[in-house]
Amino acid sequence: MKMFKILVISLALCSMQNVAHADAINDAIKARISFYQVAKHYFVPLAAMAKGDIEYNAEQAKLNAKIIETLSQMNTDSMWPEKSSKTDRPGQTRALAKIWSEYDAALVKLKNWKDTSTVLAKTAGNGLDELRKGLSAVNKACTACHDTYRAEKF
Amino acid sequence: MQHDLSIVKKMENKKYIKKRVWDLPTRFFHWALAGTVFTGWYLGEYRDFSTIYLHFYFGYAAGLLIVLRVFCWVFAPANSGREELLPGFRKTIAYAKTIFNREPSGVVGHNPLGALSVLAMLLVILAQVITGLFSEDDTMFSRGPFSSWVDSTSVVTMTAFHYWISRILITVIGLHVLAVLFYRFWKHEDLIKPMITGVKFVKNQKH
Repeated sequence: MKMFKILVISLALCSMQNVAHADAINDAIKARISFYQVAKHYFVPLAAMAKGDIEYNAEQAKLNAKIIETLSQMNTDSMWPEKSSKTDRPGQTRALAKIWSEYDAALVKLKNWKDTSTVLAKTAGNGLDELRKGLSAVNKACTACHDTYRAEKF
Repeated sequence: MQHDLSIVKKMENKKYIKKRVWDLPTRFFHWALAGTVFTGWYLGEYRDFSTIYLHFYFGYAAGLLIVLRVFCWVFAPANSGREELLPGFRKTIAYAKTIFNREPSGVVGHNPLGALSVLAMLLVILAQVITGLFSEDDTMFSRGPFSSWVDSTSVVTMTAFHYWISRILITVIGLHVLAVLFYRFWKHEDLIKPMITGVKFVKNQKH
């Protein structure tokens, strides 16, 4: 009976470990989606200014660009564990398995975001034209990565 | 030039006669839609903050043009060629059998295969306009006017379709252009000029 209890408990522990392991990947996926959602939150007013939907405000532009730069510099490696692609987790993520098979090339695209964001943080407060130019560059970096490494659907 | 000569020779034989086949509204619709779709595609493919609103406007314009075209088609008077656009299976097969003949078809208006390609293009363009209304571009931070009516998963789906349909659209329009070139160089039949002037060489029924 004692042996049986040990067996049941260890089996339960094993399965829990599996669950915990699965959750770690799920959490990483959730974290990175949320991370980009936060970035989006600070992008939206800048884009609205660039498009002329709201009036240009140097202070807000500068502040948001600074936050975006800070976000872009964050180390997000742990949000991209192996086995967290759309192939592994269909329905949860749009990240293509290609990211991990050519991780260095993907990092170059990520670095473009960092670099263009640094420029944007410096220039966003210098008038609408500068904001537009800087934001366009960041936008191209975003699109380049999305086009290559993101599926159209979850 | 050789092609033109052969056309002239056929003219002399009176196998083909000049006839007005496209009325002004049809020609206007054709070129307006071609211009709108091309510009809309360009503004979407190479989108930028300063021009993205124009992509929306060209989408609305394309949708409006198609609605007008369908309206004109539904309320067209009899004998104005409105049956041409739904040629039916037997006519289409009969026409398809003659497609590789190295002579002008001399068809007045839409030939059966052309009619099907028109329908295909209009449907695909319409689908592109409708999915666009529900789409969101998360690098441009622009969203279609109806995207707030549906949940975010549907927006992603619609955006995906908006992208896939754009690829289909490029394919069907590419086929349309290839077909026009095929008529010009294989069948010695110019379809471009008639779409500008309205006048086309058609088969002489009395011949």
